Amino acid sequence: MANLDREAYPVPAALRLSAGSFHKLSAVLTLVALVIAFSFGNDAFFTVNNGLTVLLQTSVIGLLGIGMTMVIITGGIDLSVGSVLALSGVVTGLSIKAGVPTAPAMALGIVAGAFCGFLNGFVITKMRITPFVATLGMMLIARGVALQLTGAAPISRLGEAFGILGNGSLFRIVEKTGGIFPKVVFPGIPYPAILLAFVAIGAAYLLNKRQAGRHIYATGSNEEAARLAGVLVDRTKIFAYTMSGALAGLAGNVLMSRLVTVQPNEGVMYELDAIAAAVIGGASLMGGVGNISGTMIGAFIIGVLRNGLNMAGVSAFIQQIVIGVIVILAVYIDQIRNRR
Amino acid sequence: MSLESASQPLVEMSNIEKHFGGIRAVNGVSLDLYPGEVVGVLGHNGAGKSCLMRILSGAMIANEGSIKVNGERAEIQSPHDARDLGIETIYQTLALADHLNAPANLFLGRELKTRLGNLDDRKMMAETQRVLRKLNPNFKNLDDPVAKLSGGQRQVIAIARAIYFNVKILIMDEPTAALGPSETAMVADLIKGLRADGIGILLVSHDMHDVFELCDRVVVMNKGRNVGSHRIEDVTKDDVLSLIIKGELPGDWVPRGRDRVQ
Repeated sequence: MANLDREAYPVPAALRLSAGSFHKLSAVLTLVALVIAFSFGNDAFFTVNNGLTVLLQTSVIGLLGIGMTMVIITGGIDLSVGSVLALSGVVTGLSIKAGVPTAPAMALGIVAGAFCGFLNGFVITKMRITPFVATLGMMLIARGVALQLTGAAPISRLGEAFGILGNGSLFRIVEKTGGIFPKVVFPGIPYPAILLAFVAIGAAYLLNKRQAGRHIYATGSNEEAARLAGVLVDRTKIFAYTMSGALAGLAGNVLMSRLVTVQPNEGVMYELDAIAAAVIGGASLMGGVGNISGTMIGAFIIGVLRNGLNMAGVSAFIQQIVIGVIVILAVYIDQIRNRR
Repeated sequence: MSLESASQPLVEMSNIEKHFGGIRAVNGVSLDLYPGEVVGVLGHNGAGKSCLMRILSGAMIANEGSIKVNGERAEIQSPHDARDLGIETIYQTLALADHLNAPANLFLGRELKTRLGNLDDRKMMAETQRVLRKLNPNFKNLDDPVAKLSGGQRQVIAIARAIYFNVKILIMDEPTAALGPSETAMVADLIKGLRADGIGILLVSHDMHDVFELCDRVVVMNKGRNVGSHRIEDVTKDDVLSLIIKGELPGDWVPRGRDRVQ
């Protein structure tokens, strides 16, 4: 809105960068710069093994970030994803303990997450509570339910099948050496990373090619205009929050599966990583702006930072400071671009 | 004129009431609109004219009263219902989603889809180009978010959105407020064209010149009431101003048109 007179003299279309692609380019450059910097710092950073580790570590933030992006585009926010992630894991764990086979139990966990998201959407649209307050409430409720159901104790011995989703990998090549430890030629692409890729492509397709996605953007851009144009604004918002809840449930199952244990106090503050990923990726908290590829870049910037700083021996406390600074810088760069 | 030829009104709003707490924003207002007729809806800010228009366009639901469209009772509960009845509205605020481009705004809520149910962006873009060219030949940056377009271009998109989909009843709320002289002339031509096609138009305007040039009839609202519905040739600008300000015609008023005819 600030640059109505942007094109005083026309620039060839090929050279012109829209605000979105400018932001994405700067995010990609940041990611590349980080990778180069960490590679110089530590020989073990730029290796296949570590690359796959980053993929694995990023998949949970990525899944949460995708749901968060949809919610942020509608002009809302979802503070409950970290807690919903834990509750979903607990539902899966308790279901397995109750005798439900692993795959349906995981589905139940995801459904529980989706239900939490649906409740968020319902409270926000029908009871007219602001997203910040509604999802803050859900953050406490979901965490409380997860702790109450388990007595705050982890659920372990969930069977080998429970660990496959988080620990399995595709195209793993192992050479038998005859010793106790076989030689791993290629550790394989972790299932969580493959899952993330599928979900990201699906979400991008939904946002760009489906009516529901178009309505998500319209609702965030101008809610009243969308309503007057016949968009079912309430239903669109409930859909976005339900997706966020379901993806938090999926992320919870991936995370707990990786640990092969259900931890009801897992995922604290994860919502902030998810918001950071979306915002670094160019999503605007004012609504109407954001995309999945940006959020993926944002998630990987956070993943690479965490991994690289860990390998460099930087403490977790300093890592928080660094990520906080990066979030502010990302928003600042976006604002400069929009002011120009 | 078309007023006589049409037997059945397109729209009949009868005894519409809308309260906000103790305030009666619209108080027992009746209004009709015939095919091929342009009716100016006039009144002070807060006289209830926007409220009445929002009730017809489904953006607001009346407390009392009934609406008939083509002689049949219509329940307009949402903008969706109104659009299904062929009622289109150009809002004063334009009601555009600023981050979306022109085609996305034009087809918002009524997106064209491919057989697989995907958004047919190519077709929407082609259709948008076709419609906008007619209204404004030098409209180029269709792919930009509409926030980056000029006021006139945004207005053209809002107008195009209203007339693209088989409109029968068009509500225009201050359609020329943001426009320059050439674009205002374009809107005037457009209104004349739509009228010739038998479309009924409700024109909310403050511009007396526009009203007297374009309208067949004026309806004046004052403090939530309909204080007068007159053929445009029966009133002068001073009569209309008196209705708007005092809520009544000057004491010595007789239908001016009849004077001239006799």
